[in-house]
Parts: sequence; C-alpha cells; structure tokens
Amino acid sequence: MIEIGGKPIFFLPFGDIVIYFTPFTLTLFLLALVFTVLVIASRPERQIDVVFGGDAYLTKDISLKEMRFRRFMAIACGLASMGAMVTGDLFDFALFASLVGITNVGIVAAVKNRHVQNAAFQYGLVAMAATLPLFAGAAITASTTGTLSILQLAIPAVSGVPLAVKGLIILGVMGEGMAPFYAAKAEMFRAPGAPYVIMCSLSSLLIFLRVIEIVMTV
Amino acid sequence: MWNEYSVGLGLVMVSAAIGFAVLAREKDDLHRLLIIDLIEIPSLAIIALLGTDLAEALILPGLVVGIAELLALSHIYLAKEELHSQPVRGLNIEVIRLAHAPAIISALLVGYGIILSGFTGGALIGLGAIFYVISREPEEKFELVEMASGIAWAAWIAAFFIFMFFPQYWYAGVMGAALGILLKVSAKMSLMGSMWGGAND
Repeated sequence: MIEIGGKPIFFLPFGDIVIYFTPFTLTLFLLALVFTVLVIASRPERQIDVVFGGDAYLTKDISLKEMRFRRFMAIACGLASMGAMVTGDLFDFALFASLVGITNVGIVAAVKNRHVQNAAFQYGLVAMAATLPLFAGAAITASTTGTLSILQLAIPAVSGVPLAVKGLIILGVMGEGMAPFYAAKAEMFRAPGAPYVIMCSLSSLLIFLRVIEIVMTV
Repeated sequence: MWNEYSVGLGLVMVSAAIGFAVLAREKDDLHRLLIIDLIEIPSLAIIALLGTDLAEALILPGLVVGIAELLALSHIYLAKEELHSQPVRGLNIEVIRLAHAPAIISALLVGYGIILSGFTGGALIGLGAIFYVISREPEEKFELVEMASGIAWAAWIAAFFIFMFFPQYWYAGVMGAALGILLKVSAKMSLMGSMWGGAND
C-alpha cells in the first residue's frame, strides 16, 4: 500500500465503508473541527464603511435571520469538510465534496446584495456542472476496479484507476468543492462576512489537499 | 474493448459534450440553469451504467445532490431577479379539475408503486402524486412532503440500526427499509420541477 498520508492510525468500519485516520487526514480533520468550533463560538462582525473625506461612518445592518442562516451554512460546511477528510469511500467523498459546494453557495448567497447573489449564482452553475465529472469519475472507478474503497484501491494489485478517471475526479472537485476566487472575493469585498466566509476558503483548501492525497493513493 | 458498457459510456459522454457545448453558447441565466439540469441526467446515467445493485444505491444520493443544487440555485435566481410569485391557479382546466380520471390514474400509479415497492415503486408513487397535485391543487404543499420524507428517512435509518445491532430481526429491518425508501423516493420525485417560490415563503 502506498502511504502518502502516513500509516493509518485508526479504523472505524461501517459495513464496507471504512472511515480511517492517517496522520495527514487526522490533521486536516482537526483543522476543520477547530474552525467549526470557532464558527459556532464567535460573534459575527459588523462591517463599517467610512465616508470618504469626513469623520462619519456607516454600519451595515444585517438581520439576525440572515446571520443565523449563514452560521448554519458555515457549520454544515465544516461538518461536510470533516466528513470529506476522513471518509474511506470514493463515492462518499464525492457526496461530501458536493455538500461542501452547496453549503459554500449558501454562505455566499445569503447576503442580500445583487452583486453577491450574481456571483453565488454563477458559482452554483459551475458547481452543478461539476457534478457530472465528479460522479462520473467515482462511477467509472467502480466499474473498472470493482470497488470504491480507497483502502482497497491503494493496494497496487487492485489499483488501476485510469489517468483520465483521476482527471475527471480532480475536475469535478475543482468545480464542486473548491470555491472559486470570484465567489470568495465578492463576499469579502462587498459583504459583511467574517467569520463565516473563512469556511469557504478553509473547506476549499482542505478538499484540495484531500483530493490530491486520494488521487496519489488510488 | 467495445462491450455494452463502453458503448453506453461513449453515448453518455457524447450527450454530455453536446450539453456543455450548448451551455457554452447560452447567455441567459435561466436557460443555463435549465441546461445544467439537463447535464445532470448524463451524470446519473453514468452511475446507472454500473448496472448492479450498487448503482441503484448510488443513484439516489446523486439525484438528491442534483435536486438540492437545483432548488438552491432556483431560489437564488428568484432572489437575484427579484421575482415574486403571482397567483396562478394551477392547471385551471375545468374538465381535469372536475373529472375523476386524475384521481383514478393517480390511485393506479400509487397502487402499482406499492406493489413494486422499493426504488422503482417510489418513483411511480411520486409520479402519481405529482399528477394528482398538478391536476387538483393550485398550490404546492411542501410541509407535507417534508414531513413524509423526514419520517421515511427516520424509518430507513432505524432499519439500518436493526440490521447492525439486531440481525435476528432482519425481516422488520427489510420492511422498514423498503417502506422508508418507498416514501423517500416518492417525496423526492414529487419535488421535481418545483421552484420553491410559492406561497410557502
């Protein structure tokens, strides 16, 4: 078995779906956990616009309902990232990645601002289009190798995932799980977002690191 | 090399490529959303090409992800374009609204679905429910669908726990899971084509 992420420390089998922790995925899991706890505990900030050329400033008023929704989406995003970090099943990983995509769209789209919602809509279109390569990659893996378990696929005798399929998976995850910069940017510059916007960037980073590990392993 | 799977995969890939080519030319946001929803179908077809029990188990989450994203995006689209619901009185065709035919056809579909049970049966029941609702009810009632779906999910999970912890009661587990997936798929199917911009907001 090729061990990019180190030797698995702990296995948690649910039937044939085995959750496993390697030092690599454990680190990522803890990172997601810490940030989810931070999102739960922290108080959202209010964005202040200084009026140019004067002493006045404006505070943006955000309704509690909007903040609640964004917090819920951020927590869901954290949970989905945690799941994606530790799952040992390729299809589960695809599902968690698309869950991260949906929650990222939700975090951005909760802002009542036309520009931000436009950005969220475009990101959502990309995410939806990316389900095709993502699920196609997982399904073709199952049909060529006969298993979806990453632990099984890591055994060189079983492994034989074609390069094109790995490409499909990476393409799908790029569209689905990784928030493109324009979505995060629209959020950061135009909308009061901290600390929830952090989840967009963090989940993208985590999903990116994990998919690289998976593609190198299988 | 060119067995049935490869031919099917090739066909699906070609249809996906056609979809993406159309998507690249389209500029209107709503049309792009609809085309992308069309592109989801090849992705389900690729999973279905596995042709095993696993495929049936994998299609449901794939379908759910697709519907969830479509619902979320259509909601964003409504907010973005500031569209509000206008009172539309359903399919206001007197013959359909008063006749017994929709009820009879729906009852047949639901009855046949219950006999089939499982995934296919759920799809049929959902179809019957959609047909009845669009021919009778002017509004979409999501609370009921959500409740049925939630109960079905709980039954499904409970059945899995029975399988895991009390394998000797496997028959109760099978029945619970069958009923759960039946209701779950029918709830999912009856959500199709709705835009969630109705009177529930």
